[in-house]
This record gives sequence, C-alpha cells and structure tokens, in this order.
Amino acid sequence: MSNHAKPLSIRDALYEQPGPRTRRRVAIGTAITAVLVIVGIGLIIRQFYITGQLAPRYWTFLAQPTTWRFLLQGFRGTISVALAAGVIALVLGAVLMLGRTSGIKPVAAVCRVVTDFFRGVPSLLLIYFFFLVVPQYGIRLSSFWMITLPVALAASGVLAEVLRAGVNAVPRGQVEAALSLGMRPGRIMMKIVLPQAIRFVIPSLISQLVVVVKDTTLAYVVSYPDLMQNARVLITNYDALVSMYFTVAVVYILVNFAINKLSALVAERLGVKIIR
Amino acid sequence: MEHVDETPVIELRHVDKHYGDLHVLRDINLKIARGEVLVVIGPSGSGKSTMCRTINRLETIDSGEVLIEGKPLPSEGRELAAMRAELGMVFQQFNLFAHKTILENVTMGPIEVLHMKREEAEARAMELLARVGVAEQANKLPAQLSGGQQQRVAIARSLAMNPKAMMFDEPTSALDPEMINEVLDVMVELARGGMTMVVVTHEMNFARRVSDRVVFMADGQIVEQGAPDEFFDHPKTKRAQDFLNSIKGH
Repeated sequence: MSNHAKPLSIRDALYEQPGPRTRRRVAIGTAITAVLVIVGIGLIIRQFYITGQLAPRYWTFLAQPTTWRFLLQGFRGTISVALAAGVIALVLGAVLMLGRTSGIKPVAAVCRVVTDFFRGVPSLLLIYFFFLVVPQYGIRLSSFWMITLPVALAASGVLAEVLRAGVNAVPRGQVEAALSLGMRPGRIMMKIVLPQAIRFVIPSLISQLVVVVKDTTLAYVVSYPDLMQNARVLITNYDALVSMYFTVAVVYILVNFAINKLSALVAERLGVKIIR
Repeated sequence: MEHVDETPVIELRHVDKHYGDLHVLRDINLKIARGEVLVVIGPSGSGKSTMCRTINRLETIDSGEVLIEGKPLPSEGRELAAMRAELGMVFQQFNLFAHKTILENVTMGPIEVLHMKREEAEARAMELLARVGVAEQANKLPAQLSGGQQQRVAIARSLAMNPKAMMFDEPTSALDPEMINEVLDVMVELARGGMTMVVVTHEMNFARRVSDRVVFMADGQIVEQGAPDEFFDHPKTKRAQDFLNSIKGH
C-alpha cells in the first residue's frame, strides 16, 4: 500500500481537466505568448548589439582560466556562507520553534517576538548591524561571520515558522498515543513529533536554502569574497558589466534550480505531497 | 489464599465536564472491578468517548474525582505519566507511530518508559505480536498494514506495558466490516484472560457475548446499566428502549 503520490501541481489541485474548447484557447494563448517572448528576447539582443555589448572584448575574458579560477573562489565563498548560515538557521529555528510551542508562557512569548523580528527585518539591515554596530562594542568578527550570522538569523525566523507548521501537521492522536504509554512531553516531542514534522517540511526547508543562497549576495557589503563580490571585481577589471552579470546570474539560477530539484526529489522519496 | 480485592481498579466519582455551554459529562459515577469487562454504549454525542478518555486524563474534568486502585489520578507531571503507563488505551484511529516500524511501535513504551533493555523489549514485543497474529509484519511501517492489523498492533502496544486495565475507545469504528472480527477476537481473548476492560463500542454482539456489565449513556449521563442480557432484553428506560430499537436489524 505504498502510495507515493506524485507531487500535485497547482493546476491539478484547482482546475478540472480542460475540454476541447479550453484546450484550443490554451493552444492559441501559448502560441501568442511564445511569439511575444521570442520577439522580446530579440529586442534585448538587438539593443545589446546596438550599444556594443556583444563586442568580443566584453566576452573573451570569459575564455581565460584565471577568470574562472577567481569566480570559483567566489563560488566556494558563496557555498560556505550558505551552508554555514543554513545549518545555524536550522538549529536556531528549531530552538525558537521549541520555545514557542513549549507551553511555558514567558519563553513562548520571547521566542515569538524573536521569530517575528527576524522574519520581519530585511537581511541587509541585520548585515549593517553586524558590520557597523557590533564592532563598536569591541567584538571583532571576520567578514565571513559578518555575512553568515545576519543571513542565518534572518532565515532562522522563517525556518522556525516552517518547523512549527510541520509540528502542527502531526496528528494529535500521535501525541495522545504516546501520552497514554506514559511518555513525557519532552520525549514525545523528540521521539514522536519532531521526526514526523521534519519529514513533512523537508522540501520547504531545502527550498528555504534558495533564499539563503540569494541573501549571501549581500556579502559585498562586508567585502567578503563571494561569487557576487568577485564578479564585481572582474567587472571593474574588464569593464564588462552585462556579460559578467549575465554569467553570474546563470550560475545562481543553476545552483538554485539544483536545490529545488533536490527538494522535489527528497519529497518524492519521503512520499510527502507538495503543491507547487 | 488470596484476599479478594474490593477496591475498584477504576472509579469515577461525581465527574462533571463542560465544553463551553455544552455539558458533556453530568455527575458520572462508575466503579470497575478487577477483571470486569464494562461496555459503554449510547448514541453519538452522548459523552461515552469523553468519559473513557477522562480515565487517563486525555480529557480533563471540571469537578469530581477519578481514582485508580483507590488513589486519585494525578493531574500532571511525572506522577500522571506513571499512572498512564499502567493503563492501556486503544484508539478509534489506531494512532500507531507513523514513522516507526510495527516492532518499534510495540517496544517504544517498554524502552522509553519502563527502561527495559532493547533485546528484552523486542523479545516480548514479538511474543505479543504473535499473540495478536501480526508477527510477520514486525518490520513494516503502519501504513503498509490493513486497518484491522494496525488495530491489533495497537492492542499489542498497550499490552507491552502490562497494564492494570485497558480502555478501548470505539476500537472497530474506523474499520472495514470484514476486519472488525479479527480485532474483536483479540479483545474476546483478552477478556477471557481476565483483563479489566472499558470498551466504548457500537458492537452489540460483542457487548452481549463478552461484557459483564453494560452502561448506557445519553446526553452526558449514565441513563441505565446492568447485566448484558437483562439490558438488551428488558431495557428499563425509555431512552434505552428507543436507542436499542433504532439500531435493531444491525
């Protein structure tokens, strides 16, 4: 009876199967959209051509190994910040969620305020705090931590809420069964509720990593050499704005596409239904 | 020679409970003796499940007392957990731990609460699973079993704690008809073995064949109680007569 449901698309969830007339309309709409997109891309390329952005001098440096070595250094920086921030955010998010659901009123209230604060404040503001305010109190952080900590804090608020949604999705009967065996609430959370809750939200947790990766691009504020920062150095060196940003954008898209694929794969493995 | 134990295993004294304006339990008084099989019947919304769940405080009460072997049921903490560990509970929706195998479901209580060694807990679990007829499913997950099998595992999970008494909250109501008997058979065997049981059910045949006493509830009250033959053949109250008439032919 292993019914590993295929991920439900939002279209399947909301609409019935289209009939012949609807299918015709969809086909016409698709054709018109495709033409518009192609024309749009054409216009962009034309504009680049007119302004000389397609000239070889803006692109040839991409053939040099040193360019890629430098970008790879930045890429490593991006990945290490993203992973460190992701792990810290997950731990902190779990702590905030446990506090908020603990039933101890003052702890729950504090965790709620902290969660909402980190969820509501832009990452950039937190980065400025670690970059400009924290050093004034004599705390010396490396640029790695000046970008990693604020990104982690910003994500922790969201992860706390994602985890809480997972905990709420565990049926009440699971807890009642454990209670009736004589288990204590703390053990029930650890042994029964959390393992199931995490399975429910693993796809969302991984997707959240996409946001963390995008936040790492703010590393330029603290001059940490991530992919974006190194790209900016190359842009100044070669005076190649469009070609460089285009290349970096492709890299970010590929990374985040891979993360999304991973979350879909994990969801399928675990038999979790996700709607996207 | 053993002295006859007069203290009821479970006793409810003047138990009252409200859900907002709804008076779900009205002055419930009930004693369940050791080895007794008590069946609770009544229309839906009569409070029979709620009553059953107050016995291990899955439902709190507004006033009155719940006594287990003469001692008041603790209201929280370690003491409450210890008391719950001595009372088995079987739910309508089985409530097997969805992420644990069948074997792990049955060893969870003994290992976590009784601090039994894993090998010992597993040996005992396998014994119990064999007794309820699902030993060969031990390494599967609950979702891979039929409803009837899952409910039998749930019974084994409760038995693994060596409970003083067991509550069954509509144990067959969520089952497909062809699976009801396999669960009832296990319960009959338990009753014959001398287990103290409180069974909330709609299975009138089970009530008549197995129970020592039938309690009929309506509108949060115990309306009538008595030996099964007497109750089913000569119900005294109008409410019970109407109820029995309404389910005739089932």
